Amino acid sequence: MARTERSAAAGAGVADKAGPATANNRGKLRKSSALYWTSVASVIGGLLLWELAGRFIVKKALFLTTPTQIVEATIQLIAAGELQQHVIASGSEFVIGLVLAIVLGIGIGFAMASDKYAKRALGPWVAAFYATPTIAISPLIILWAGIGIWSKVIVVVINAVFPMIINTEAGLRSTDKQLVEAARCFGCSRLQVFWKVSLPSAVPFLFAGMKLAIGRGLVAVVVAELFGSREGLGFLLLQASDAFNMPLLFVSVVILAISGMVLTWLVGAVERLLMPWRYTSEQE
Amino acid sequence: MDAKLHVKDLHKSFGDLQVLRDMNFSVAEHEFVAIVGPSGCGKTTLLRIIAGIETPDSGAVIIDGNPIKGPGADRGFVFQQDSLLPWRTIWKNLVFGLEVNGRLNETNLADAKKLLQIVGLSGFEQFYPNQISGGMRQRVNLARALALNPEVLIMDEPFSALDAQTREMMQLELLHIWQRGRKTVLFITHQIDEAVFLADRIVVLGRRPGWVKEIIPIELPRPRELSVKRTASFGAYVDQVWNLIENDVRASIVEDAQLPTV
Repeated sequence: MARTERSAAAGAGVADKAGPATANNRGKLRKSSALYWTSVASVIGGLLLWELAGRFIVKKALFLTTPTQIVEATIQLIAAGELQQHVIASGSEFVIGLVLAIVLGIGIGFAMASDKYAKRALGPWVAAFYATPTIAISPLIILWAGIGIWSKVIVVVINAVFPMIINTEAGLRSTDKQLVEAARCFGCSRLQVFWKVSLPSAVPFLFAGMKLAIGRGLVAVVVAELFGSREGLGFLLLQASDAFNMPLLFVSVVILAISGMVLTWLVGAVERLLMPWRYTSEQE
Repeated sequence: MDAKLHVKDLHKSFGDLQVLRDMNFSVAEHEFVAIVGPSGCGKTTLLRIIAGIETPDSGAVIIDGNPIKGPGADRGFVFQQDSLLPWRTIWKNLVFGLEVNGRLNETNLADAKKLLQIVGLSGFEQFYPNQISGGMRQRVNLARALALNPEVLIMDEPFSALDAQTREMMQLELLHIWQRGRKTVLFITHQIDEAVFLADRIVVLGRRPGWVKEIIPIELPRPRELSVKRTASFGAYVDQVWNLIENDVRASIVEDAQLPTV
């Protein structure tokens, strides 16, 4: 209320925006909840169809395992204490690798954005590796670093670091020149320009890079484990498929799918927390 | 008349292209000077030199008798509307200059609060720039420059991105705010009527290279209201300035039209 009054007082071009904006938000809210329920209905419907197909059409668990069988297998695995062990193994490989990839990616991306020699020296390598399925050299990495945790960490890093580098560089480069110029006129040092202008303006790109890195990192962990490991979700996958135990195989797949979703959602939540200005726009 | 800001014998070339030639003018304390010129008059370069982020080939910019040696808080800048940092709230944008100059003390913050009130934006502290209108953003820009309490306020086409009606309101408000403290102002614009309405004197620039063609004192009584724009003497001033730059503007339009084929 107070705001509307103030807007009117503040004058031209404002009053007409405060009013419709609130009504608009309400409309958006209704729309987004309808959209939300569409997703829920889609997932439940899909699972139901799957269950029915597995029970009445295919029947053989080898060819089509059902959601209920997967849940049963999951419960058994948890009771045996095995699932926790695999999740922790894969989880730590993934998290260490991802953190390293993010730190390295931001560092290298920053170097490439701020120094043209670094850009020239690193550019061709980054471009080549970004386009290559580096996952293909996982067996070699395992040969070098053994079947313990570190070979997987390395595989995660070499897969996740490139989208991070490319996005960091693009983000820092795309900083509005007008903002940089204005900041310098206000007496900002180069360092202040970086911290107060370039970096904040690159944040959306960093998040985009992280989302890509998460996807690639998850795939990397599993594939690396398939090539040689003693534990982890990829190891579980391999065991299950050797034994033709499809419910067990799907336990691994489902956990990976859920992790991917949760992590992406988590990044989105942090994004909204760190960048409220991108989510508060009332003027489209 | 003692000069607050003195632009003295400025020359600047980029390679073979001479951008500023022997530029000379000054702004007295409490004076409002507008700079008008066609595109290609070197105003961007002039501005960067005054800001201290570009060095002239020869000549100097002198404030209170001291040649400037780099950016400094003795000059406050108001740019076009998009120079607010989108990830900072209105309040955080307002104190940006104080922050980077290490002057975030209680007195200055209290003054900043007062400034926000003067520009009519109290209550909008926690809003982000994309939540307010272009006119409001320009008020924040103005307040941000004033928060440093600069010796000279330099405004670079601050209203050019606003619609015509908002622009008129902002011109009037700027005059009201200026009337209170009478800061020394250097105002760069393309709008001749804006320059005549606001300024005590107009520096008319020529183009390629930029040089001072003429300095015209505007002797319209103050305080000025928008109605002054409909008086005969106002029209005469606008004509006078327009006649000075008309040929240059034509030349610049022809040149711009030819650019794509180059």
